This record gives sequence, C-alpha cells and structure tokens, in this order.
Amino acid sequence: MTQRAVCSRCESPLEAGDLRCAICGRAAEEHARSVARASIQVLRCESCGAAVSYDAKVGAPNCSFCDSVMRLEELVDPVEQTEGYAPFRVTRDEARAALAAWLKRQGFFRPADLAQRARLESIKAIYWVAWVCDARAYVTWTADSNEGAWRSAWAPHSGAVQLAFDDVLVSASRGLREEEVRALAPYVDLKAVAAEPSVLSDGTPVALETFDVQRSGARRRIVSAIHRSAAHVVERDHVPGTRFREVHTSALLESLETRRLALPAWVFAYRYEDRLYRAVVSGGDARGITGKLPFSLARLFLVIGAVILAGLAALTLLPILLRFFLG
Amino acid sequence: METEQLEIRCDDCGATLTMPAHRFAAVCPFCASPSVVDRPAGESSARREPPDFILGFVIDRAEAERRVKAWIGRSRFFAPSALKQAKVHSVEGIYLPVWLYGCIAHSQYEARIGEDYTTTESYTTTDSKGRTVHRTRTVTKTEWRELSGTHASYVLDVLVTASKGLDNAELETIEPFDLRAMRRYDPAIVSGWAAEEATLSRDEGHELARSEALEFIEDRIEDFLPGDSSSLQHFDSRLSSEDTDLVLLPIWVFAARYGPNAESLRILINGQTGEVQGKVPRSIVKIVAGSLLGLLAVALIFLLGLFALGVIGSFL
Ligand SMILES: [Zn+2]
Ligand SMILES: [Zn+2]
Ligand SMILES: [Zn+2]
Repeated sequence: MTQRAVCSRCESPLEAGDLRCAICGRAAEEHARSVARASIQVLRCESCGAAVSYDAKVGAPNCSFCDSVMRLEELVDPVEQTEGYAPFRVTRDEARAALAAWLKRQGFFRPADLAQRARLESIKAIYWVAWVCDARAYVTWTADSNEGAWRSAWAPHSGAVQLAFDDVLVSASRGLREEEVRALAPYVDLKAVAAEPSVLSDGTPVALETFDVQRSGARRRIVSAIHRSAAHVVERDHVPGTRFREVHTSALLESLETRRLALPAWVFAYRYEDRLYRAVVSGGDARGITGKLPFSLARLFLVIGAVILAGLAALTLLPILLRFFLG
Repeated sequence: METEQLEIRCDDCGATLTMPAHRFAAVCPFCASPSVVDRPAGESSARREPPDFILGFVIDRAEAERRVKAWIGRSRFFAPSALKQAKVHSVEGIYLPVWLYGCIAHSQYEARIGEDYTTTESYTTTDSKGRTVHRTRTVTKTEWRELSGTHASYVLDVLVTASKGLDNAELETIEPFDLRAMRRYDPAIVSGWAAEEATLSRDEGHELARSEALEFIEDRIEDFLPGDSSSLQHFDSRLSSEDTDLVLLPIWVFAARYGPNAESLRILINGQTGEVQGKVPRSIVKIVAGSLLGLLAVALIFLLGLFALGVIGSFL
C-alpha cells in the first residue's frame, strides 16, 4: 500500500492537493515551505520583463504591458472520479425474472392484471455512482424521552458514545431517486470491487454514470450523511425509553475514508395502460428491487366505500346497542 | 532586488505595511494619518514569519471605487460636505493579516431543562349575574430538571485580526470570507499590492481566538439542549489540538480625514464578496438641521391630519 497523508488531528486521509482537512479544518502538512519563505518581492514578467502584479479579474498575476498571465498553482477542487466498479452478477434474464416475480407479488391496491399486462419497453444496464464511507465518530447527544418523566411526558437525557461506521452508502446519483437508492443499498456487494466496469456476456452495453460533484461539495454531502447516520443510531440504540423527541447530536468524526464507487443496476421501463413505470433491480443481487407501481383506483374506492359503510353501520347500530345495554 | 517595495509604519494606528512604491501616498492607507515613516522594504520584512495561507482579491479597483461611491451616496445627508465632494481616488487594496484558529473542544455542561405539562386548576370568578362560581381551566406549566453531560465538536475557521490597525470588531463587520477559496501563501499573489505585517503576535492572536471559540461553543451547547425551554448554567471546555495559522485576507480600504483634528473616516470592502462597511463622521450642524426638519415634517403631517378630519367632519 502506498504511503498516504493522514490528518494529524482527526486521522482522516487527505487527498492530493488538499490545503486543509475537510473534516476538522487542520492545515495539511506543507511539502515545499521554501516557496513561502521568500519575502514579498516584485515579480518580473517572463515575456517582457515589466513588473507584474496580481489581477483580481484574472485571479492570477498579470502583466499590464504585454497582457501575459502567470500561471499559479491551481485551486484543487476536482470533479470526483470513479475508483472502482462492483461487478454485475445478475444477468439480463435473471433481472427480468425478478421483475416479473416482483410484479406478481404486489399488494391489494395494485391492479389484479398487473403481472400479465405490464409490457416491457426497455431494459438498460447501468452503473450508478455512490460514495461508500468508513468512519469513527465520538458522538455526544441529548434528547427528551418518556423514561424518567415526572408530571411532563418528557424528561431530559444526555450521553456520549463511540461509534464505528462501515460501508455507509451515500448516493451521488442523479439518475436514481433517493428512495430507490435506499431500497438497493442493502444489496450492494462491495467484496469484489474491480478497477474496470463489468462486460456483460450477452453483449448488453453498460451505461456509466459519472460523478458530477466537485470534491468540496462531495465532502459536505458525505459529512452530513455520516452525521445523520450517527443521529439515527443514537435514536435507535442509546436514548432510553420508548418515545423520544428533540434529539440533538454533536460528533467528532475521525478517520473518514471514502471510496468513490460505481454500482450495477438493471433499469426497466414498462407500460401499463398507456403509462410508463420504472423499476430498478440491483445488478449485484436480484433481491434488491424497487420501483414505481401503477395504483388501482378502483380498489382504493372499494376500500373507502367499505370503510364508509362500516362507519354508517356503526352509527345506526350505536343507538340500538346503547338502548340494549343501558336499558 | 530593487527598492520597488516600501515599508510604511503609521504612528497613529500602528499599522505596518509593505507596498509597491508606485502606490505610495504620504498618508497611512488605513487611517489617512500623515504621521507615517517609510523606508525601503528589506531585511526586516524578509525575516518575518511568512503567512500560511492567502485569499486572493476578486473585487477589482474599479468595482471597489464604485461601491465606495455608492456607499457614500447612501449615507450622504449627514456626511460633511467635504466628503461628498471628495474624489474617491485613494482606495487601497490591502492584504490584511488575520489569525485562523481551530481546535477540538470537549465540554462539560450543567443546564436546567424546562419540560412543559398541562394541568387543570380550579379558580373562582363571578358570572354574568354577579354570583361567585368555581370553575376549572387547563394551564401549561413547566417543570425544571437538571441535566449535565458532555459536548464534543471541532471548532473551525475562527478568524481574529492580527493587525493593530484594524480591530476585531471592525473585521467582523465585513466577514464572512469564503475560506474554501484559500490558497497556500505565494508571494506572486501579493505582488503589486500592499500587505500589512502581523502586528499582533501569534500568542495574542491565540488568546483572542480562544475567547471567540468559547463564545461559539457556548452558542452550540445552548442549541444542543433538549426540552421546551432550557438555560445553560455552567460549562467548562477543554480545547486540544489547537492551531493558529497566519492568513492574508483581501480588503479594499478608503480612508480620509477632513481637517487636522477631525475623526478619520474609514470604509472597508471585503475584497472577496464586495461587502461594504464604514462609519461616516457626522457633521453636528447637519444632525441638528436634520432633526429640526424631521420635527417640522411631523408637525406638518399632524396639521394635515387635523385638516382632513375637519373636511370629513363637514360632510357628515
Ligand atoms: Zn482532520
Ligand atoms: Zn509582460
Ligand atoms: Zn494609520
């Protein structure tokens, strides 16, 4: 493994070109201090020899005589690049079978003939992008819960806990919706991440989604996702009692490591009664499946009708029952 | 190296600046005081500690001048006439030294948390017929409970001045700066501009930053407390892994003095965002005249009102 620079305050790995740690703000160790040692001096234009000064418009030193611009070290905020690809393990036919089975399994509010009449319009193999993160976090928290309550329904609690996060998945995809990502996330297999995208044996081309987020924006999203996960764990495992509110967390993130991965999926478009619907099957494990489904209005009205009838029946029966019991 | 850089020291505000000779004026660019000593920049500035980071100018001179003029235009009425006529030619771009502080904060706190509950209480009142009756009503009450605990967080991006010429309160008026655009210090970025030397030591900066960090932590803990209401009684913070880095920030300064004993006027512009702040020395005569005019206007409106009422009254 190559030697990586690590932040001396929070132990998160630093990327090449990082000026400061994105997690805790500590300045990165400098490589060439010698540049800064020089005092303020007058720079000379390399083209014409005139004095050069920094130009606010250009954002770099600029010669006012010959208009040549000196190149400064670029600000480093590159667009994120995919580092690895989780393999396709589900074939096209398996994905189709999974979709058919899933359509059949759908509940009462779906049209009864859904599985027969859904017409497949297209099947696409895609790689969608996500950050997968590991981190440690020292989380301090406060909350109100019903545990230990006196006259009020709520009593205050506080605590601190050391948490470890493994493989937290943060979507970077524009193509997939947040709820689709949530459904697929448990079926993402990170064990066999490869340097290259899978080539499918049946020749289906695989569309590659790319990261279109800059490094700084990516980190903001990742850090807030880890903070959300921390709050979630605190709510689930650490706040005492059975009900809670006002959960506050403050966390020190440490050793945040991020992998930029592309994850496989089969995306289906199918038509039912002239409308298009989409379903997504995980390319790593066909149990991961999610989608928008047609909704049977007829069945909904049936239920609403039944509820209203039951209500009316109760209303008419109530006086009779009351008379019966109270005499 | 030729002597195209000058070092200027101001006796009035204490600023020490290095600036290109062609920008040199006989007054201090910070406070417009003529008590400046200048000498070629040389050994002394070379020995100083170099800054760690720098934020480049985004707002150029033409834009800075436009903003100063607009600002003076807005605060025109009370300003001395001399200012209105003043040509805005002495706007100076200066790299201001500041200390950038960060740390890990572990705090212990004690607080009182208010949890609301509703209860019914009985009370006595008189009804419409004047009889004394007993009634009940629902009221919201608060029970106070003690809560102590720990709060941990990073403290990032605390900026405090490193310049005697410009105090922290004034720096705060033109904050924030977007520190994501920060670069490692490079003399090429400062070339052609005036840069102030840090006149507050790292230790002084550190102390100032610590107290700002503690204020910040206090706010964070107050937001952190649960309950319907809460009050932080006491907190005690242990700050560790502290850093204080020297950063140069871009600001445009317009300084002017009208008369030898007049208060100096200073307008500051954030060289990155264009935020303008300043204090105009107000002319006493104009303030008095202004107040009188205001009174007159109020009286006039009052009279008009009476007149209008009279007119309406005559129709009824
Ligand atoms: Zn760090
Ligand atoms: Zn040139
Ligand atoms: Zn001065």
